[in-house]
Amino acid sequence: MSIWVLCEARAGGYRPATLELLSQARRLAAAAGGPVVAVAVGDDAGAAQALEGAAHRVVTVQGGHLSPYAADPWVGALGDVLAAEAPRLVLFGEGTRSRELLPRLAARLGAAAFTNALGLEWDGGFLLTRPVYGGKAYQTIRCGEGTCLAAFRPNSFDGGAAPVPETAFGEVQAAAVPNRVEVLEQLPRESRRVPLTEASQVVTGGRGLRAPENLALLEDLADALGGAVGVSRAVVDAGWADHAIQVGKSGKTVSPALYVVAGVSGAVHHTMGMDTAKVVVAINTDPKAPIFAYADYGVVGDALQVLPALTAAVRKTAG
Amino acid sequence: MKIAVLVKEVPDLEALVKVAEGGASVEVEKKRCLSFFDEIAVEAALRAKAARGGSVVAISAGAGTGVEAVRRALAMGADGALLVDDPALGGADSLAVARALAALCRREGFDLVLAGRQATDDEAGLIGPMVAELLGLPCVIGVTALELEDGAARVSRETDRGTEVLRTPLPALLTAEKGLAEPRVPQVMGLMKAMRAQPPKVTLAELGLEAPAPTPVAGYRGPAKRPPVKLLEGEPATVAAELVKSLREEARVL
Repeated sequence: MSIWVLCEARAGGYRPATLELLSQARRLAAAAGGPVVAVAVGDDAGAAQALEGAAHRVVTVQGGHLSPYAADPWVGALGDVLAAEAPRLVLFGEGTRSRELLPRLAARLGAAAFTNALGLEWDGGFLLTRPVYGGKAYQTIRCGEGTCLAAFRPNSFDGGAAPVPETAFGEVQAAAVPNRVEVLEQLPRESRRVPLTEASQVVTGGRGLRAPENLALLEDLADALGGAVGVSRAVVDAGWADHAIQVGKSGKTVSPALYVVAGVSGAVHHTMGMDTAKVVVAINTDPKAPIFAYADYGVVGDALQVLPALTAAVRKTAG
Repeated sequence: MKIAVLVKEVPDLEALVKVAEGGASVEVEKKRCLSFFDEIAVEAALRAKAARGGSVVAISAGAGTGVEAVRRALAMGADGALLVDDPALGGADSLAVARALAALCRREGFDLVLAGRQATDDEAGLIGPMVAELLGLPCVIGVTALELEDGAARVSRETDRGTEVLRTPLPALLTAEKGLAEPRVPQVMGLMKAMRAQPPKVTLAELGLEAPAPTPVAGYRGPAKRPPVKLLEGEPATVAAELVKSLREEARVL
């Protein structure tokens, strides 16, 4: 009944999404009675000592061909390890890597596969919850006897489960697998911010901001909150911002603790990317805007005036 | 160059979704369309054909669904369409659907397989990379630019970490992200002709596949309802101070 978590390193430690999955795995393992196994591959194994207490066992997968990350060698290496160990559950944090690795591993292992999940419980079996029909309904799935691979949106679980008393460390040497896809260029995104899909606070703006230079107001509030900036589709289509920060159907899905949305009317295109946010603050001049139906707090007013006032108020409390 | 596009028919975004009393099932209004990212994949396939010659075939798999999706692809200019139609695919999991699509692709043989990054209903993004793995093809997901070379494709994509330009040998499977190509609006003549198209259908047995077990769904629920919104009006500075107080003391998110 072991629960595995694929661990992604970041800034000398591990992604918050990794840590919250390990926490939830410890919580469930206490009830289900099985070990939690943290698995880290290639460069992600470098910080493995930081996983002391986070899992009963840490498996690092090594091999020169695994660094830097490339899908083919990683699928080969993880496929071999998971086939040998046949865990019950393998948990991934949603991201571009999970999107690439999880389905291919599932196809290779003949495993059940679910992505975009939000909940994982134990009632004698594992129950997984995921949105369907663009978040208009939630489906609960009973995981079967075989291996199940599941990816969860960041911020789905609390990180506070008790650490385990003892962690065993082990290493696996992966057989070499050639990488068929050649990297010609890499342009890292320079950002001082947490990634949009992982941020606990997100500030999003729409056409109600009226001009591209006003997007700076979103930046200011995000800075004050220590969060990330998103935009609506209309803003991307108008060429004011890059698609990489678009929230909604054709962009990113976010699930932060606080979502502030200014000058967005609230069409389904947008709301399906944010409706699992815990607390939503909407700012709109139109008191009848649909976005208020998705909000906990609403401010009827001009985003250009309300955003700076909110930034000032947040700074005042923080300071 | 022989190009396949894997397409899915999904409920329109505006379709009404109702969870049955007790949560045993979910009822979805019959307003169906070709999934957003699949439409981009069709457009990219048509452009690839225009650049390098060849043919474009739209492929879908389901239990009595998929006709509308491939008809849309035909209306846009696809040369042909194929369906895996089998009652056992109703409620089947992604791997069963991927196996059906992969079997059909293997039978037909393609130089390039395109698919959408994810479907707009479950947003799972599983089918494309699963089919790639089952066919043993290299795979790049979330492609925002595609340029064909002899025996290879040069593609761009956005990752969590930034932008990458990659080269993959062909045949390969690529999934389309927004920005790859703006889908054309089909001409009326094309739409009329596609409406009457009866794409050839195959069953799982004809592809040598066994009927899969359905996904073990334990139940459904509607989205968590938020309490009625607390609307604040007045001077921005006053409202902002009041809001921050509520976010700290009531919602406890600051």
